[in-house]
Amino acid sequence: MAVRFLLWFYVGFVLVSFASSLWLLLSSVLTVTPISLPYWLLYTPGNIVAAGVVVAALMLVLYAYLGVVLVLGKLSRGFVPIIMVIAFVIGFALLLARLAIPALIMIIIAYVMLIGAYAVLISVATTRASKALWGVATIILTLIPPILVGGGLAVIYYVKYMAIIEQATAIMASAVEAWKLGVGGG
Amino acid sequence: MIVLILAITSVIIIIANSIYAIPSLVTYSSIGRFGEVGYYASQPMPNVPPGLLVRVFLINGSVVEPVRAFIDVYANAPSGIVHVSMGYSLTLTVPFSNANWQYVIGRWASLGIPFSDYETSMLIFITYVRGNESWIVPLVIPYNVGWVIKNSRYIVVDALINVNELRPNEVVPAMPGITSVNLQIPSNHSDYTTYNCNLNAPNHRQKTTFKPEIACLGFNGSLPTAWVTWDKDVVQRDQGVEFQLIAGFVGMNRWNAMAAGYGDIGTSYSAEENWALGFYPVVFGSEVAQFGPAYWVTQPGSVYWYYGGATWAIVNYTVWFVNSSMGTYHLGNATVFEVLCVPPNDHYIGMVLDYGNGSVSLLYYLASKHYLEYPSSIVNYAAFIYTGQEYLYQCNGLVINASTPWGTVYVMPPGVETAYGLSPAQLGTTLTSLSLGSGGLGMPPPQTSTSVASTYIEIGGITDGVNLYVSVVDVSGVYGLPTYVFILNATNFYGNPTTYTCKYGKVTQIG
Repeated sequence: MAVRFLLWFYVGFVLVSFASSLWLLLSSVLTVTPISLPYWLLYTPGNIVAAGVVVAALMLVLYAYLGVVLVLGKLSRGFVPIIMVIAFVIGFALLLARLAIPALIMIIIAYVMLIGAYAVLISVATTRASKALWGVATIILTLIPPILVGGGLAVIYYVKYMAIIEQATAIMASAVEAWKLGVGGG
Repeated sequence: MIVLILAITSVIIIIANSIYAIPSLVTYSSIGRFGEVGYYASQPMPNVPPGLLVRVFLINGSVVEPVRAFIDVYANAPSGIVHVSMGYSLTLTVPFSNANWQYVIGRWASLGIPFSDYETSMLIFITYVRGNESWIVPLVIPYNVGWVIKNSRYIVVDALINVNELRPNEVVPAMPGITSVNLQIPSNHSDYTTYNCNLNAPNHRQKTTFKPEIACLGFNGSLPTAWVTWDKDVVQRDQGVEFQLIAGFVGMNRWNAMAAGYGDIGTSYSAEENWALGFYPVVFGSEVAQFGPAYWVTQPGSVYWYYGGATWAIVNYTVWFVNSSMGTYHLGNATVFEVLCVPPNDHYIGMVLDYGNGSVSLLYYLASKHYLEYPSSIVNYAAFIYTGQEYLYQCNGLVINASTPWGTVYVMPPGVETAYGLSPAQLGTTLTSLSLGSGGLGMPPPQTSTSVASTYIEIGGITDGVNLYVSVVDVSGVYGLPTYVFILNATNFYGNPTTYTCKYGKVTQIG
């Protein structure tokens, strides 16, 4: 059954999150420590963006895997994360080509699909705890754009904290699912 | 189980970053092509006291690598500079508890200005030697006095020595003191006083094989905030023409340090400003009239609005290598022009004429001596030429005319500069980073400060025979003063430009 294969999505989600936060910890602490470091290890916006791109790429691979597993399992809702990944990739490409408006349109489509992907994850979650955690993450993900557009830069700090809670709940939801499926599935 | 542990660890790290339990990037800025500075908010880390950390990187083509260099750090005080620390290494750390830095912080605190209203800076010179060549990078790193007192920031400077872009100095055998530059300025001056601004530190510098020398010439007096300069032809040919210089500013004003041959090397002082100046006419005449609240000018010169009681400095830095067995060498020198302190402007702002002995003349003098450059970034031109009919030529930008109780005046530039908006691209990347998890990596949020500045000139009294060419010049790139300047000539635009676009003839016919 497709659920068995979903385990690897959840494990991957937790591992990528762990790797990025470990980089965050190491890079930020080492940067303020008076020891010689290679430039690429410094906690600077350029390196943060580079790390962010790697994390985003890995996440997109995971969502693509999620979509394929669901579609192969005869769940057509698996097309939602697949469309999200395609839209994000096109949006990034347009952004690199400096076509801001088409890029924004694609990223908005991708964002809506990401919310949809979270809804899909709720629907396939096997525990109440993970359903609730994905639910909180979905609500926050839905609220962020209107708050950001309405409040602009004045609310950027609130949005940042909301995004942190969203990430934390998504990571924990994945961990709970991975744990449950890992134990249940042997 | 392992997955759960990893997940909980990730969440703890993300939360620790957001509440500044571990270093979190708050702001980050580039300093010209010579460096970058990041400000990290954090609880003090064990064995890593908060303060300044300088790292040196050598850029050679696409290779960026840490490199050993002589790092020399000074703190800007309200009236001068104080040596803080130095060393020859890959990195240099200066904790906030450094006695010399604390001494400077005491000087700032004694001014009684709220810390949130201004930022001062550190002045850093980095000297990299390879073979018989050396490269000196001067950097100015802004910081808030409150951070030092609260021990609440890590200031990390990455100095970038690009050996392919920066001009090297020749390392030559020479004894200290022989080639240091003599900072002479005109003896005849009235709007400022000069003094030695190399202040003694409580802790004297340790002896190393690198021997830096500082000559610091301090200025105390009227710091120009906007000005108009005219030549002698204007006084002769445009008598009766009058103008008003009007300027306003709300927000954080930044004065950038300039280094000869390098350009902008970072903000040396910034302060909250809120003022509106104007409505004081200046009239070109053959003699000084004794009536009206106007300045009558009869000779070439400038008129400027100023901040009174400000301090600024020319710092000449020379560094030597002194070794009993290898000999003594002159490694190079650098000259920095920087604003040290501008008192809160409520009571200290005014306008003054400068016929060669004021602060504007000083800036032009320093340009003539190559400590600074002459302004060249011209943003707008307009010409008023009256030959039977009155014509206004608008070049590179707009001029508007307005009817006032005292006649028609022409305003240039008519626009008001302001800023801030979130572009679609910025919004897109912000949402993307938030949704895919890059937000949790600790990207600093966009800066939210807004400032509104306007500087313009109103010109009236355009009558038969007038030939007036007005050039609007952005001087921030050469003097580091955040302002526009108006240069008036009677025969051509400033600098005799060959390429500018005017709406010839068509322009508003105004007679």
